[in-house]
Amino acid sequence: MLGTSRFIVSLCGLILFFFSANAQETKFSGKFYDLKFPQFVQQIEGKSAFHFYYDESTLDTFTLNVTLTDESINDALNKIFGNTIFHFSIDPLNHVFITKNKSMQTALAADFFTPENSNAPPGESQNEQVIKEKSRPGFVENKLFEIGSKSASKKNKAVITGFVKDIKNGEALPGASIYLDSVFTGIVTDQFGYYSLTVNPGIHTLEVNSLGMKEALRHIIVYNDGKINVEMKDDIPSLKNVMVTAERRSNIRSTQMGIDRLSVKVIKEVPVVFGEADILRVVLTLPGVTSVGEASSGFNVRGGSADQNLILFDDATIYNPSHLLGFFSAFNTDVIKNVELYKSVIPVKYGGRLSSVLDVNVKDGNDKKISGSGGVGLLTSKFTLEGPIKKDKTSFILGARTTYSNWILKAVPNLAYSNSSASFYDANIHISHTINSKNNLYLTGYLSNDNFRFDLDTTYKYGNKNAILKWKHIFNNKFYGLVSAGIDHYQYNVTSNSNPVNSYKLTYDINQTNFKADFTYRLDNKQSLNFGLNSIYYKLHPGGLLPYNSQSLVKADVLQSEQALESAAYLGYEYNITDNLSINAGARYSIYNYLGPHETYNYVPGLPKDASTITDTAHYPGGKIIKTYQSPEYRISLRYILPNDASIKLGYNTLTQYIHQLSNTISISPTDIWKLSDAYIRPEKGEQYSVGFYKNFNSNNIETSVEFYYKRLNNMIDFKSGASILLNHHIETDIINSKGKAYGAELFLKKLSGKLNGWLSYTYSRTLIKTDDPLAGESINKGAYYPTSYDKPHAVNFISNYKFSHRLSMSVNVVYSTGRPITLPIGVFYSNGAQRLVYSDRNAYRIPDYFRTDISVNLDGNHKIRQTFHNSWSFGIYNVTARKNVYSAYFVSQAGFVKGYQLSIFGTAIPFISYNFKF
Amino acid sequence: MNRFLTISLTLFLFLFVYIGCKKPYNPPEISVDNKFLVFDGSLVNSADSPSVITLSRTVKLTDTTQAFYPETGAAVSVEDSTGGNYVFLETPNGMYKSPPLSLNPADKYRLKITTSSGDQYASDYVEMLQTPPIDTLLWQQQKDVSIYLNTYDPSKQVKYYRWDYVETWQNRAPLESELGVENGLIYYVSNRPLDQKYNCWSTDYSTDLLLGSSVALSDAVINKFPLAVVPQNSVKINIRYSILVKQYAITEKAYQYFQILKKNTENLGSIFDAQPTQLIGNIHSVKNPSEVVLGYFTASSVQQNRIFISKDEVNNWNYVYTGRGCDVTTIEQNPANYLLYNYPDTGFSAYYFSGTTGLTLARVSCLDCTLQGGTNQKPAYW
Repeated sequence: MLGTSRFIVSLCGLILFFFSANAQETKFSGKFYDLKFPQFVQQIEGKSAFHFYYDESTLDTFTLNVTLTDESINDALNKIFGNTIFHFSIDPLNHVFITKNKSMQTALAADFFTPENSNAPPGESQNEQVIKEKSRPGFVENKLFEIGSKSASKKNKAVITGFVKDIKNGEALPGASIYLDSVFTGIVTDQFGYYSLTVNPGIHTLEVNSLGMKEALRHIIVYNDGKINVEMKDDIPSLKNVMVTAERRSNIRSTQMGIDRLSVKVIKEVPVVFGEADILRVVLTLPGVTSVGEASSGFNVRGGSADQNLILFDDATIYNPSHLLGFFSAFNTDVIKNVELYKSVIPVKYGGRLSSVLDVNVKDGNDKKISGSGGVGLLTSKFTLEGPIKKDKTSFILGARTTYSNWILKAVPNLAYSNSSASFYDANIHISHTINSKNNLYLTGYLSNDNFRFDLDTTYKYGNKNAILKWKHIFNNKFYGLVSAGIDHYQYNVTSNSNPVNSYKLTYDINQTNFKADFTYRLDNKQSLNFGLNSIYYKLHPGGLLPYNSQSLVKADVLQSEQALESAAYLGYEYNITDNLSINAGARYSIYNYLGPHETYNYVPGLPKDASTITDTAHYPGGKIIKTYQSPEYRISLRYILPNDASIKLGYNTLTQYIHQLSNTISISPTDIWKLSDAYIRPEKGEQYSVGFYKNFNSNNIETSVEFYYKRLNNMIDFKSGASILLNHHIETDIINSKGKAYGAELFLKKLSGKLNGWLSYTYSRTLIKTDDPLAGESINKGAYYPTSYDKPHAVNFISNYKFSHRLSMSVNVVYSTGRPITLPIGVFYSNGAQRLVYSDRNAYRIPDYFRTDISVNLDGNHKIRQTFHNSWSFGIYNVTARKNVYSAYFVSQAGFVKGYQLSIFGTAIPFISYNFKF
Repeated sequence: MNRFLTISLTLFLFLFVYIGCKKPYNPPEISVDNKFLVFDGSLVNSADSPSVITLSRTVKLTDTTQAFYPETGAAVSVEDSTGGNYVFLETPNGMYKSPPLSLNPADKYRLKITTSSGDQYASDYVEMLQTPPIDTLLWQQQKDVSIYLNTYDPSKQVKYYRWDYVETWQNRAPLESELGVENGLIYYVSNRPLDQKYNCWSTDYSTDLLLGSSVALSDAVINKFPLAVVPQNSVKINIRYSILVKQYAITEKAYQYFQILKKNTENLGSIFDAQPTQLIGNIHSVKNPSEVVLGYFTASSVQQNRIFISKDEVNNWNYVYTGRGCDVTTIEQNPANYLLYNYPDTGFSAYYFSGTTGLTLARVSCLDCTLQGGTNQKPAYW
């Protein structure tokens, strides 16, 4: 055994001489006592060109006790590991691999000097090297792959392209970072896992990092343009590696800022109420994201209101992302690959919302074999099935989820509740089809439905329906495009039929048809362009009240439908000016047309809009443009890399929003409506300046960042006192335009690997608005800035997971935030027979601070590879300390006296259990 | 329609209150004393009933010693658009009363107030609305008894209403005494029927703001508006119960004001609640228009209707008297004994003469119904 490694060492020595004469001669001296191995590695890496690869969880407790005097790396490591179970090997690129029990093969492939297809004629199929990682992990990583035909005419630059996929199921890996010779190229795979890279011909190492996957390394010799697909291995627990990983160093290297990526694995580990893994609950733990409270479906990003988030499910717009009034998110985690939240400089291809883009990416189905998974929880059950329709060509994934929450209602000893019912379901389908190496088709469908009823009287229903078809075409190595078309639908209705005379049905829906064309052109390794067009046609039915049956005297009251077309063209340019400095600049131009048929009221100019100032009605026929808004938007970000794994980034962006949610309740309620900008309601506009510092420690295992932002929002919508939103024929008379500003600092610390991983974030943020509308007729808080109801200056989130063994892990969340602002009564008076209240200025006070701790224990079944059925259990307690966090405080006149109450949503510790399986 | 939405949402949310919890809340912040002027009441166009207006000041939420702070010494009048002036006279507790006024419904009216400190306030001019008669009052029993109202405006002018009501019910002392005691002298009740203490009539006033609108209906109809609920086994229908409902037409603006007032106090507590909103009435300070003045001045005629419910009309109605026991004791007929027996506690009174020498006594609470509230004078309509 020892002999073998000596032999390898000497072979390495030979190659080292060839490649880098200096590194192998580095001598090490020093006394290392009681030193942890990772610290030793840091010292060595700091002084020499060696880079260590080892399994953190086995070696982070290994202690050194050794004296070195002018010793080579081999001698030094022999001294350290001589009598241990650990072995080391060193490859030609000064990579030191520490392994347990067995040493690793680092020898180059035998065909290094005689490439096997050196005589092959040039041509696409011949240039292609598709590498499948075999069961021996060392094999592909040590092989030297040839790119392009050796005999073809030599060029100065060669373009390498390919797909990065998951070896297990062939699923594409978007967002994977490509490193060339250990330097980040700035290139990240697109949503289909595709990348394109320009290199100088010669020998290189290609390194790919992707969230939740093991780092993949390829040695390549580049002769000419060619392809190399990289299949990555899952970072599965049996490899005793990290669960939370990110593209190491990409936080520093990428020009993007204010972006959070979450893999579904991380989401599933975070304990949540009722044990159902929930995307939105985890998103809420990220810095800069808040919500008004536990029972709210909306979330607020960097001081924006809840309707300013564009929620995309595989590019389909989801208008209501929650079930059961916000207690569950409407996404089934089993069909989701990952989630990205853009909260700062939003990529130029997205538009139409001011605060953020939450991009939920769907998994491609397993294209190798049929498999499935499922889960059973206290309130919900789910099932997912995936597999190939045609092996390696077409695959599908189907997911469905439903609830049986009725039992909770039945358990309440009160007739009003036991006569009530609540249920929901959601279903997803995603089909991906490879036509040929240049064309792919993707079809995604989404359906969700909620239904709840109170005491046999009023029934509420709401749901989303979405379908989207995408076609990806690769024109050549440098140029590819994605064209998609889809329809999005959201509707709700309310029916009441207990009193026949008053029985009614209330309906509302949004329909949108969209078309998108997005192209990426990589000029060279340093520059790339992203451009495209998109267009959305909206048709809204903003509300209709209809008699429920013939006995009903309810007068049919149907608001006119609304139509609009929102179109945009954009161009983004990314340029790596030097190795350290890169810029990403983009412009987007949007045009919005509010279209007929519509009847619009005219008002006396210069007076507050009011029913009494209506002069006449203008009639617009179908298709006629009633009002046009247009707006240029800019997105700029700059990144400068500092020494020692650190960087600084600057960003600026502007955005425009043409569709607005009207809500005068504190949180989003199911009967809130969306309204298009029209002749009176101007588009909302926002701009944000941001700056961030990023630094990694401990071989990029610990990421830290500080981001600052300042944001201005214009034409935000607020309401006059007593405004009625439902069935309002002239909503413009009840709206007040407001102006907002938000600023804050976000501190983030994330540990990516080791037994303990997770993140800690602290956010300081303020978000203030003021009435900015001389024609409103009234102003809130006398026109002064006041905090929004989601303004929470201090927020601390701690999310952690500790692995006791391969099968047993424990997660702990700790969440703290300042209490949100509320409006309190400041006086009591008598009127109409009872005590009444007079309220303070809006949001002048705050409810008590929020604090919660959750714990869960996850127990996996055995990891035997041949076992067809894998199962896991998760137990936990939500709100362990049973703190009665105040959701709202309110004051009620009861029997003529005013009493104050505080309301908690989960005012007790809630235990949960769930069972999940996979086959 | 909106009302149904709110009620249902509130119901649902109380479920989560159940899962979660509701606790008393009294933050220290709410102790600023603003003392805003508060107006309550309305101008009633009626040949036989006066208009009553109450002026008061707001008090701190934490002030438990004085919940009502009347504004006394003010000069209050109503002015019509042709210059006519109707003066209100001060009565105790910040109340100001006018004589019954027959006013011209085509005119407009406004309220004028000058406080004792000299501050002047005036309302906007308001229309004098014609209130249509109440169509029917009806009641239904489902354990509790619910009282509903139907109304209809044949002229289809009035779309917004406010109601208030007065409940009156008969209650009896547990024991019917033959005797009464006045100034230490015993008399036979049969000789002085007006001084009987066996039958009483108690009165309660509505405390909720009752608002309705027919604006969403194709006809100007209010159908089965729920006015009041009498809980099952309540003393109110132990013998006989009556409710007098008064109906006032109001304007859309007044309706909105009262809705906000109602929402701000009566409807809060669910997670989808609207933000409490600023109350902007139609009364303003003449000198400082931004000063907060609470209240909305309205003017209309009034319509009223009364129904009765007797115990034999309701099912499963078992009122349980929860006062002290009604055990009796007999003493010798002699004033000294009587006084001695009642010393030092005057809890006993004469019940009946037992034989020629005995006087049976019982607790006053068992003999005198006025101690449970109400009057022993039978109302004229009873």
